[in-house]
Amino acid sequence: MSPEKIRLNTEWLCDCGGCHVSLVDLHEKILNVLESVQIQKCPVLTDEKGYPEAEIGILTGSIRTEHDRHAAIEMRKKCKTIIAFGTCAVYGGLHGAGLAHSREEIMDHVYLNSPTTRTNFIPATEVDGLEKLVTPIDEVIEVDLYLPGCPPHAHFIFEGLSALIEGTAPRVRQESVCGGCNRTMKKSDVTEIKNSADAVADDDICFLSQGFLCLGSVTLDRCLSPCPNHGIMCTGCAGPTMQILTEPNRDIRTEVSERMARLTEIPSEVIRKSMEQSAKTHYAYAMATKMIGDKPTFLIRKWIAEVEAS
Amino acid sequence: MGTVLNIAPVSRIEGHAKIAIHLDDNGNVEDAFLHIQSLRGFEKFIEGRPAEEVPRIVNRICGICPWMHHLASNKAVDGAFGVKPTATGHKLRELCQVMAHINDKILHFFFLASPDFVLGPDADYSVRNVIGIAKANPELATKVVKMRQLGQMMLERFAGKAIHPIAGVVGGFAKPMLEEERLELKRDAETLLDFSLYSLDFAINNVFSKYMDVISELGNITTGFLGTVDREDGSLRIYDGKQRLMKPDGSYVDFEGDDYADYLGEHVEPWAYSKMPYAKSWNEGFDLDLAAPRGIYRSNTLARINVCDKISTPRANAALEQFRSQFGRPAQQTLLYHYARLIEMVYACERTLELLEWDGITDTDIRAKVEPKAGRGVGIVEAPRGTLIHDYVTDANGCIESANLIVGTTHNIAPMNMSVKQAATSLIKDGNYNEGLLNQVEMAVRAYDP
Repeated sequence: MSPEKIRLNTEWLCDCGGCHVSLVDLHEKILNVLESVQIQKCPVLTDEKGYPEAEIGILTGSIRTEHDRHAAIEMRKKCKTIIAFGTCAVYGGLHGAGLAHSREEIMDHVYLNSPTTRTNFIPATEVDGLEKLVTPIDEVIEVDLYLPGCPPHAHFIFEGLSALIEGTAPRVRQESVCGGCNRTMKKSDVTEIKNSADAVADDDICFLSQGFLCLGSVTLDRCLSPCPNHGIMCTGCAGPTMQILTEPNRDIRTEVSERMARLTEIPSEVIRKSMEQSAKTHYAYAMATKMIGDKPTFLIRKWIAEVEAS
Repeated sequence: MGTVLNIAPVSRIEGHAKIAIHLDDNGNVEDAFLHIQSLRGFEKFIEGRPAEEVPRIVNRICGICPWMHHLASNKAVDGAFGVKPTATGHKLRELCQVMAHINDKILHFFFLASPDFVLGPDADYSVRNVIGIAKANPELATKVVKMRQLGQMMLERFAGKAIHPIAGVVGGFAKPMLEEERLELKRDAETLLDFSLYSLDFAINNVFSKYMDVISELGNITTGFLGTVDREDGSLRIYDGKQRLMKPDGSYVDFEGDDYADYLGEHVEPWAYSKMPYAKSWNEGFDLDLAAPRGIYRSNTLARINVCDKISTPRANAALEQFRSQFGRPAQQTLLYHYARLIEMVYACERTLELLEWDGITDTDIRAKVEPKAGRGVGIVEAPRGTLIHDYVTDANGCIESANLIVGTTHNIAPMNMSVKQAATSLIKDGNYNEGLLNQVEMAVRAYDP
């Protein structure tokens, strides 16, 4: 093993494992990467149980248990550069939707109210403590680089890792998913919001023009836009664009409702209201980050309560 | 009180787990546990969401087998809305599912499990991995990486996203297949079929024959099995069929997925977040006792290979017959999961080609009309890691009112605990153990591909 190789650790926190598969999905390029990188710790590939010193540390997943918290802190201590890798690490991810429910509600559902489970207790001993909320990692440790995506497409992973290895700036842009979408935006006379079960959308025209809620325009492209190019609306899995994150009074539903209202005959208040009613879906990936959660415009518990009361 | 040996984390598996081995004062194994360290609560937070969106949400339960959750979920919503997918939509879904099985098997056998066999269970831990294989056998490593790339790219090109897919929709599939896509996929699937046959031969000659003494001992327990078989002829099915629950003596009952809760229950132990399904219909309760287990069955490749009467494709069926002549039915040896996995990979490749040769595969009638409504639907597919059950109740608006999920790996939590205890007890004596022995305990878990 040549001493000049760049040492890499990876660790997964609370996640689905997909980000680690996306690393393996560098495929032949991983053989290139291995020429200059030594993979030390990688739970899915190697048997290193500890946290050796490394130049690069990739953390996937968010913090859900005490074990996750400990692992993130250890990685920070041992790695010079920490990459928050994937939407869960950067924004909390889909299980950040756990935010809309208390820990107790989740535990009760899983252990006490399941149709196939008959028990009268909740497991406690020997299990790493489940924390109250899902936390993106930069609320616990310093993060040097962010690579959202669910998972990030290999194109961006390779670009990011190559830049780090060569010491250059990564050539990644801040475009939205619309940038890579082949559909054409045009003004229509559509008067009602449609959902994917109601109708099959035309393949050449922007979903918003056709009355379907698509989050492409408010979502950062870290995927190469596969969904709208395969007949499916963007659900925002790579998290919001920089504009949404940094403008205090703009968020996902205000931006989408205004754009969609301009492209159709549907009033923007109607669209906004509809998005509030299914907020758990439209804010699914990034609600656990303070950048969204602390916005004065974001009132998810109120919206859920309104739906439940209706 | 004695000491506790922790193996944390269990590595080269696809989830978050640790092993705790409790030793008595003489250094012999008193008890051993596999702890699964993850709980997210998907069942709870899909409540209230429009059901037709759920197939693109629940795939995030597992990034290793997202296609399985995606498709089981679509099947469950079909059921709740009372819609039957078009013939082409049904077959396009199955095609993606069997293709995803191929990639999963390459990943598990070559990237995760094979270092234990190719480099040896006692090889130094710092090289006992796929990178070590790349050094020791670069030709094999390059081939494996290329084949996995081929498989993932087939899915990505045709269906948009290989990880966290989007192309299955309620009532069918989101896009039709073009003739040129079909020809390309067929060419690539033929390459993968050759590779699957090569892999099976490689493993029979280099792994299963060489490690027969380990196979006949490590992690072995006696249990029942659960899988999916064809409704007509009992042959192996992984996308759709009836469920078959087999007792350790080989007798079995068949049932429809909708009735799963009459046959299966979930037991909770205070020391694990993960629940432990058991065969409720056997009416013998739940017990992890190695000598006299109760209610314990296994899922995943070995289970499917045991419960099926035959395999509908010729090469995989020949491999099954060879396997049965050597190990009988049901085969109980835990490490045979790897063997069964490679037989299934041959089936998945042959089935991919069958589907691509089916006349209607390029039809444009890919999606049935759907009306969201109140109902209940159970969607079951065989995930690489076991029988995957999604059970949804929808309200009058077509939103999820409640959900119950039993995911593939969960079925094997109880038997994995037993295999860990069996392996630890037979390997660790009088306080003597080393890294290589502890890795063998992990190998007993790795076979289940959790």
